[in-house]
Amino acid sequence: MKQILAAAAMATFALAGAGLAEEAYPERPIMMMVSYGAGGATDFQARIVTMTAGNEDALGMPIAIINKPGAGGRVGWNWFATQAEADGYTLGAYNIPHFIAQSIEGGVQYGAASFEPIANWGADPAVFVVAADSPFNSMADVVDHAKANPGKLTFSGAGLFVGHHIAALQLEKAAGVKLAYIPNNKGGAGAMKAVIAGEVLGGVNNLSDAFRAREAGNVKILGVFDLERSDFLPDVPTLKEQGFEIDNASVNFRGVMVPKGTPQPIIDKLAEVVPSMFENARVQGKMKAGGSPMHVMTRAEVLDMWAAREKTLKDLLAGL
Amino acid sequence: MEFLAYFGDVFAPVNFGLLLIGTIGGLILGATPGLSPTMAVALLIPFTFRLEPAQGLILLGAAYTSTVAGGAVSAILLKIPGAPANIATTLDGHTMAQKGEGARALQLSFLASAVGGVFGVLLLIFLTPVLAQWALAFGPSHLFWLAILGVTVIGSLDSSSVVKGLLSGCIGLWLATIGFDDIMGAQRFIFHSSLSGGINVIPALIGLFAIPQVISMFAKGRRRLDAEVLSVARHPIGAAVREVFGRLRALSIGTITGSIIGLIPGVGGQIAGLVAYDQAKKLSPERAKFGTGHSEGVIAAESANNAMVGPSLVPLLTLSIPGSPTAAVLLGGLLIHGIFPGSDLFDNYPDVAWTFINAMLVGQILMCLFGLYVAGLAAKVAQVPNNVMAAVVLGLAVFGSYSVQNSMGDVNVMMALGTGMYFLERFGFSAAPLVLGLILGPIAEANFIQGSMIANATSSVGAYFFTGGLNLVLIGIVIASIAYSVWMELRSRRVVTKDDAVAKAEAAL
Amino acid sequence: MRTLPRTQHILASGLVAGVGLAVAYLSYTQEPRDAFLFPRLISTVFVVLALWTFGKAVLGRTKVGNGLTGAELIRILPGLIVALVLVYGSAKALGFYTATTGAFFILISLYDPAPHGALRSWVRRLIVTAGFWAVMYGLFAVLLNVFTPREIFF
Repeated sequence: MKQILAAAAMATFALAGAGLAEEAYPERPIMMMVSYGAGGATDFQARIVTMTAGNEDALGMPIAIINKPGAGGRVGWNWFATQAEADGYTLGAYNIPHFIAQSIEGGVQYGAASFEPIANWGADPAVFVVAADSPFNSMADVVDHAKANPGKLTFSGAGLFVGHHIAALQLEKAAGVKLAYIPNNKGGAGAMKAVIAGEVLGGVNNLSDAFRAREAGNVKILGVFDLERSDFLPDVPTLKEQGFEIDNASVNFRGVMVPKGTPQPIIDKLAEVVPSMFENARVQGKMKAGGSPMHVMTRAEVLDMWAAREKTLKDLLAGL
Repeated sequence: MEFLAYFGDVFAPVNFGLLLIGTIGGLILGATPGLSPTMAVALLIPFTFRLEPAQGLILLGAAYTSTVAGGAVSAILLKIPGAPANIATTLDGHTMAQKGEGARALQLSFLASAVGGVFGVLLLIFLTPVLAQWALAFGPSHLFWLAILGVTVIGSLDSSSVVKGLLSGCIGLWLATIGFDDIMGAQRFIFHSSLSGGINVIPALIGLFAIPQVISMFAKGRRRLDAEVLSVARHPIGAAVREVFGRLRALSIGTITGSIIGLIPGVGGQIAGLVAYDQAKKLSPERAKFGTGHSEGVIAAESANNAMVGPSLVPLLTLSIPGSPTAAVLLGGLLIHGIFPGSDLFDNYPDVAWTFINAMLVGQILMCLFGLYVAGLAAKVAQVPNNVMAAVVLGLAVFGSYSVQNSMGDVNVMMALGTGMYFLERFGFSAAPLVLGLILGPIAEANFIQGSMIANATSSVGAYFFTGGLNLVLIGIVIASIAYSVWMELRSRRVVTKDDAVAKAEAAL
Repeated sequence: MRTLPRTQHILASGLVAGVGLAVAYLSYTQEPRDAFLFPRLISTVFVVLALWTFGKAVLGRTKVGNGLTGAELIRILPGLIVALVLVYGSAKALGFYTATTGAFFILISLYDPAPHGALRSWVRRLIVTAGFWAVMYGLFAVLLNVFTPREIFF
């Protein structure tokens, strides 16, 4: 009898404790896992958008970034899906379409259902670049060359099943040509070097990196893989304007998520506070200075976006 | 002359303080037998997390420079090379110390180190920007061959047996493939969950260099460190300065040999010292005096092993190919801060790159100044008993490898690799080629895959990898280094290698 | 004495050759094919070199490597066991600082040439251990702010 009473008392305390814990959340610093190396675009932006987390009007506790890079993000997301504690003190950064495309391709222990999105902070579209001395001056030139030499037009990108690869697949499909996509293991920077050095004839790359390389006079930017032109590159037409049926499926969306199983009150609290953190003027100023386009979306919007993206990617990758 | 603009940064209080700490600490660590430069730098990496990139690199660079020079102290006074790079120094340096000329030997070695070191860093300063532009000419096929070259050169030249050296390189290359592959994302050889993220280079380096050292200290049992510290008589510094510059032939042979050897990826300091010693001996009219406490021997060996430091960073800073295990550790220190070295390093991060290089230049001079005055003291500090040393290194290895990624898996991998390496070393396999394989493996593989994809789209794989001047030159060096070592092994008149020299030094104890 | 290293060399190189064959087998059978292209290349070289070394060991023509004598093994084992227990067991179970400091004390006591009967030397060992703990805690917890596993103790 005594034991049962004790157990009951303990259970009550535990329940009350859990309730209290959620009320007081967060009471210690929070960790955010980034599945790319320090200094990469995702890491750089994650550090900026979380820098105000310690403010009283935000979470009141700082967010520390932990990098778990490797295999295009798979190492980090595998860890996040299987080993991260769902207690609200472990957040993760997501990259769409990367992790959804990887889960469709298989061989990983996560999918869109393994995570709960909190909010989206950025959207970095892919662009098509060629070296500054290249004979190509528009996407039409590129496609004509590819039609004349099927399978021989080499172009670089940051890996397989990442935004750049999706953009490449979309281009192949929309133009009806066969191209030679060369994934690079050093991310966007390595892929850009391959273009500048003339190892490949062209490349798909991040808008922000391409913008800087064009300022340095190293590349020409021929098209943007998005629905609208970018504020950073108002003179560069979208692929759609150039007559290719390509939407924004390759745009690299970045945001914050938690593992499935995190208590609902904590998810709600984060979903309410985190977007306001992204709207902070200091954050916005620093992101703009770094050439990183912002695109704030709430939890509900992100849930819709994930579902839509999963459907598009399944169709696109089915042919592979 | 761009580097001059960043000289002021070296003397900023924090930077200069770190430079001093790195230099003095490096001298002591270097003088400690059993702490090699690579190990010292690897164990220091966790301490650079909290620093700015430039500051962290200053600390690592200063430690690298002065551990190599500090190793001369125990080589001369204890006849135990503090680092593999100082093996050649024991040959004449210790004999000098036995004759009561310890102070002269130390002064000569530090002055020669400084001359060689400054020359090496100047070479780095003037060569790097030129080569950085040229680096764009290195496409996937060239980088693939360069990575293979790094593994085969060290595998064939640096171990007593060519076959075992190359085999160690293969083991390293295989270890590098564990985990997800970088391009396809497929899982490979993951037979334990600690390996699911692949083998992280920094914990692996700590394990491969530190743990075998710890275990060999265990193997000595409850023995006192009874190597006798030779007393140091006073010797005027002016005379040492005159003597170093009076031995211009030995000095220039050492400096130039060291610089050239440093440029080749994969070749370490011990080879620089030994080759320079050999050459200086061959070209000296006083050939017979070598080995009997002749100053030319010390000057050639020490100027060479420090001249190697600067140029050994050239392949790292231009092609992002780390040419030596220590350079690989420095690469780890850069990557932690998100800096990818390569042709655009000097455009994107001139402040980091130049401050680092300038600090190495100033560090050479500080190293010489402190070396001259604290050398005797350093030898005393370095007399840490074996049992304490082993336990301290083990503790640092555990904490250091954990703090890289806050991962227990890394610590497990570190210990497993280290224990395995100890036993492999007992059977004639050496750590250096294995480490280079581990470091250069991903570079070789990625460039191999990219190269084959480009080749399949444009021409044939054979034509892409086996034609073109640069490819043929690199393949030629690979074949030449293997052929040379095989030939020397067949004639069994190989130059003294690290293992032999260490064995001899141990036998003499 | 000559036969001991030879048997050991056969064992060691046999083990390496075994690993090489396993790697090669996996490389040639696992899918996807493209991801195992490079492992195939290196494992082929690996196997050739490993079999060569094994052959030389069987013929007794190994020139380098001294193997391990029984006496050395006996000296190594206690320390190695302490190190392995630290890394694979106690560090996680007891907490990093407690386990490492404990291992440190055991190791310096095991391998200390100073007499083990005298109180003085035990006091010295304890002081050195306390110093080690203070330095490690200062470096990693205070300076670097590394969050190490703190289980039963810390």
